[in-house]
Formats: sequence, C-alpha cells, structure tokens
Amino acid sequence: MATMPKCEELSYPFCPDESKYEKLAKIGQGTFGEVFKARDKKTKMVVAMKKVLMENEKEGFPITALREIKILQVLKNDNIVNLLEICRAKATPYNRYKSTVYLVFEFCEHDLAGLLSNPQVKFSLAEIKKVMQQLLNGLYYIHSNKILHRDMKAANILITKTGKLKLADFGLARAFSDKLNRYTNRVVTLWYRPPELLLGERNYGPAIDLWGGGCIMAEMWTRSPIMQGNTEQHQLTLISQLCGSITPETWPGVDKLDLFNKIELPKGQKRKVKERLHGYVKDQYALDLLDKLLTLDPAKRVNSDDALNHDFFWVDPLPQDLNHMLSRHSKSMFEYLAPPRRRVPIHQPPQQPGVVRPAAHNPDQHFERIF
Amino acid sequence: MSNSETRVHFRVIMFMFEAGSRLHLQSIPLATASTIYHKFFRLNQLQDYDPFLIGAACLSLACKTEEESVRLRDIVNVCYRTLHKNKTQLEIGDTYWSLRESVARCELYLLRALEFKVQFDHPHKYLCHYLKSMSQWMEPNLWEDLPIARTAWSLLRDSYHTGLCLDHSPEHIAVSVLYFALLCHGTEMPFHKHTRKKWWQVFSEDITLVIIQTIISKIITSYDVENELPR
Repeated sequence: MATMPKCEELSYPFCPDESKYEKLAKIGQGTFGEVFKARDKKTKMVVAMKKVLMENEKEGFPITALREIKILQVLKNDNIVNLLEICRAKATPYNRYKSTVYLVFEFCEHDLAGLLSNPQVKFSLAEIKKVMQQLLNGLYYIHSNKILHRDMKAANILITKTGKLKLADFGLARAFSDKLNRYTNRVVTLWYRPPELLLGERNYGPAIDLWGGGCIMAEMWTRSPIMQGNTEQHQLTLISQLCGSITPETWPGVDKLDLFNKIELPKGQKRKVKERLHGYVKDQYALDLLDKLLTLDPAKRVNSDDALNHDFFWVDPLPQDLNHMLSRHSKSMFEYLAPPRRRVPIHQPPQQPGVVRPAAHNPDQHFERIF
Repeated sequence: MSNSETRVHFRVIMFMFEAGSRLHLQSIPLATASTIYHKFFRLNQLQDYDPFLIGAACLSLACKTEEESVRLRDIVNVCYRTLHKNKTQLEIGDTYWSLRESVARCELYLLRALEFKVQFDHPHKYLCHYLKSMSQWMEPNLWEDLPIARTAWSLLRDSYHTGLCLDHSPEHIAVSVLYFALLCHGTEMPFHKHTRKKWWQVFSEDITLVIIQTIISKIITSYDVENELPR
C-alpha cells in the first residue's frame, strides 16, 4: 500500500464545497458536531448545516455519521428532516489538513424544546394533537423502515414556521431486525430513556422511541421534561414513582434483565400516571394515550400505529395546524438559543447518551421539577 | 478497460477477499467492499491511484456500512500482512501510522467520490430465497447429492472479481448463478421443458435467456483472467 497523494490537490467532482453556503449563526450542538444556519449564496435558500467532527476520529470516518447519512438517504417523509446534500470543506493548513464534511438539511425555524421553553408560545389541545400526530407518524414511518431513532427528546423535534414537524438528529439511529440482537444500551438522553434500557436490555426495539414520545407528549403540557433524573438509578426511581413498581408481575421477564437485581427499585409503588398528570392534562383521551405510551413493559407499550388510531386524535377538538399559532412568532426558537436560565438544565442533562459523565449538580437549576 | 487493468483489478479483489477472510468478514461486507471498489474505478483512472490502498479503504468502509465492527488497526495490519507475505509483521511506528492515516483519508475520499451512496442491494438475499424454493422443487435425493447451493454461492462470490454487480440487477445475477450452477452439475429443473413459463421467469419476471447467457459469459471470462495471472 502506498500513502495517499497530496490531499489538498484532489478534486471531488461530486461533492460540492461548503463555500457555496454562507454561515449565518450557530444554532445547535448535535450528537457528533455543531449545527449552523446557513444560506446558499446563489439560490438564497436557507439551510441547516451539521458539521461532522473528525478531529479526534481514530477510526476514520465516524460510523455514527455514516449511519445517519445512510439512514437519511433512505428515509423520505414529511415528518422526517430532509437531507439535501453533503458538502465538504477543503483540507487546509487551518484545519491541520483534516477536511470536514457537512450534512446539509432543509431549514426548520424551531425545535420543540425551544418552543416549550418560551412562555409566550401557547399550544391549544387541538394543536398538541397535531404535534403528537405528526410525531407518531414520523415514528411509524421510520419503524416501518426498520430504523430506531434512539434519541427522542424535545430538542430533536424540529418544527417549521408553517407548523410541519420533523424528527431530526439520526446520529444515534440504527437499523434493527426482529431477530435477537445485542445493541448498546447507552443510548437516549437519560430523561427520555425507557426502563428497559436503564435495566440493561440490549435486545430492544421500536418501543424505546415510544417511551420518549410519551415523555415528550407530557412535556407539551408540563413545559419541561417530566422526569429529570441525575443518575440511572435516580431515573428508575422517578419512573417507578410515576408508573408503579417494576416487578415481574406487571412486566413478565423483567427479572431476567442484567441490572434488575443489581439496582435498587422502589417497592410497593402504585401506578399514578393519570393521577399525577391530571394536574396538567385535563383531557381524558390525552391521559389515556399517555398512560399507554408510558407503559413499563415494552411488549405492552402501545406502538405508533395503534397510538395513531387512538381516540385522542379522532374526537373533538380534532388536530389543528400550527400554522396560525406560529405565525404570531417571527423569531426562531431553538433550545440552544433559548435564554440561559432555561437552557442550562435542559441543555446539559446529567448524562448524554454514550458518554459517561459524572452526575453534575447544577446550582443554577431554576428549573421547575414536575416529579 | 485494457487487459492489464482487468488483471490488476482481479488481483486487488483477490487480495481484498484474502484479507477479508483473515478478518473473518461475512459475504455481505465483502460484496459491499468489492462493489465500492468497482464503482470507484468506473469513475476514476487506475493510473492515478494505488489500487491496494483503495482496496483496503473499501474493506474498512464496507465494515462500517454493513455494521461489522472491525478496528482500523486490524485492517491495516491484516492488509499489510496479506500484501507482504515475506516481510515481518508491521510494527507500531511511522509506517504503521502513515498507512493508517492513509486508509482513513482514503475512506473519506471514497465516500465523496461515490457521493456518500454506499448502500447496495446485493444478490445474496435473492439467491437464498431462490435456493429455498428450488430445494422444495427438486427431488430430495438429487438435491442432497448435488452441492448446487454451494456451487451457486461460490459462483456468486467469484463474480465480484469483475464489475458485474454494477451492470446487472441483483435478481438477474442471482438467477444466472443458479442457472450456471445447474449447468455445472449437468442437471436441470424437473419438468422445465413442459412448463409454459420458464423457471427463471418465475424468480425474476423481466429476465431473458440472453441476459442469463451474458452474465454467465462474463463470469467465465473472469475465470480466464485468473489463468492469465502470473503464478
């Protein structure tokens, strides 16, 4: 094998240079890189550019980025963020001859975490229905294509100014099969992580995304994440306090999971999903759907198809477009750009997926805890 | 493509398969690696690149797209060892690091050259289904006596020594290797002369005998290339 020729002189006829876009602002931090708002210099189209970090990559092109690209090339749906193209930045002395790659997406004005942290933004019941309907529709589409999202959270739900919802950040997503699997269970941001992952399950499926969907649905009323654990143990405690004790009676087979006997689980807790959320959510159908989404046993948790058929979406008030409500807000709302008071706790959940981080106690946490 | 170029590509694929088997790669990652390799050289000139480096990078990239976790370290070491059988093992040092860096960079280069399109529909799954149906179609004794499945599978693997996979649909390739395997064993589908629809059309509606013959003759030609290689 010979070594590669002078990198900076190579030409890439099929991969446009990033200089065709001008960066306007940094709008977020994805799983594997920064996200910018940018404009195509020629067509003036506004896009979002996600930088693939390769600085510290020892194994070549990151497999997570490759997965995201592969998945997004296949997934084309109204409720999935649309990948427009892939751009490169030239290798120059400035980046130590490490060239970078950008994924270019259609631009969405808001993310759900940003919208929820702004008290001026008010969702009616019909509008919440529209949000959830689009979210579940997106999940139905990716799950039918045998893809798991694995990072459901409000910040990864994008909403355009006309109210179209798009699932985004497929940086942790991967294909799944129906046979026995051993995936990593270090996925999903802690506050949205389902009990089976917390208990060490490695053969999980689409149900993990629906748990996150349930957490997000509740957040539509509570306006902040409903279970903000500091550690995995703490998260399981919060889950047990809301959904009842985790036992082999309510969840057959749970005792076979790796951590079931190694972790302390609160005993004798009654399931109080409806009671506890009743303070925020008045609609009976909404409470019933929440109850089905926040089911402990993944085998009994409602799937996206059945969730979409739930009465919640089919009784008055029927789902209503967000177009009108959002037209009152001219400013872009992203979690990343939200005022720091609210941003800090949401933005740094104690445990990012895949990264072991000491449980940080945040003194600035002026954040309303729901449970 | 000139004859000498064909021979070079044949050699490189042989090298990739050898390295791949040392890395315990399954058929699909190997098929993906070869497809990436052929696709790349459809778009680029052989004289501009070191094909063995491209081959190594194809292996590395294919492992990622097919979710086969292999470390870059192992790919570099195994490829080096496969290529330099008489030399001592690669020690950690300047050569190792520069080779590793080259494979990593080259992988990104491949991705860009292929517009990040590295998903392929391979004939393997079709062949599996066809073989399954066939096994129920043929007389049990005959099916057990003749290693048709193994022959078809080997023919399919060997077909990757050429760019066949870029020019024909996966269904057509799968049917053709099956047809070829039956020929090799001097057997036929039972009653095939009496049916109105040919068995290959049952598997793939738009296939014709001409297509099957084209594919088979391409595979045969590739075996000739092997014979021309210097020993």
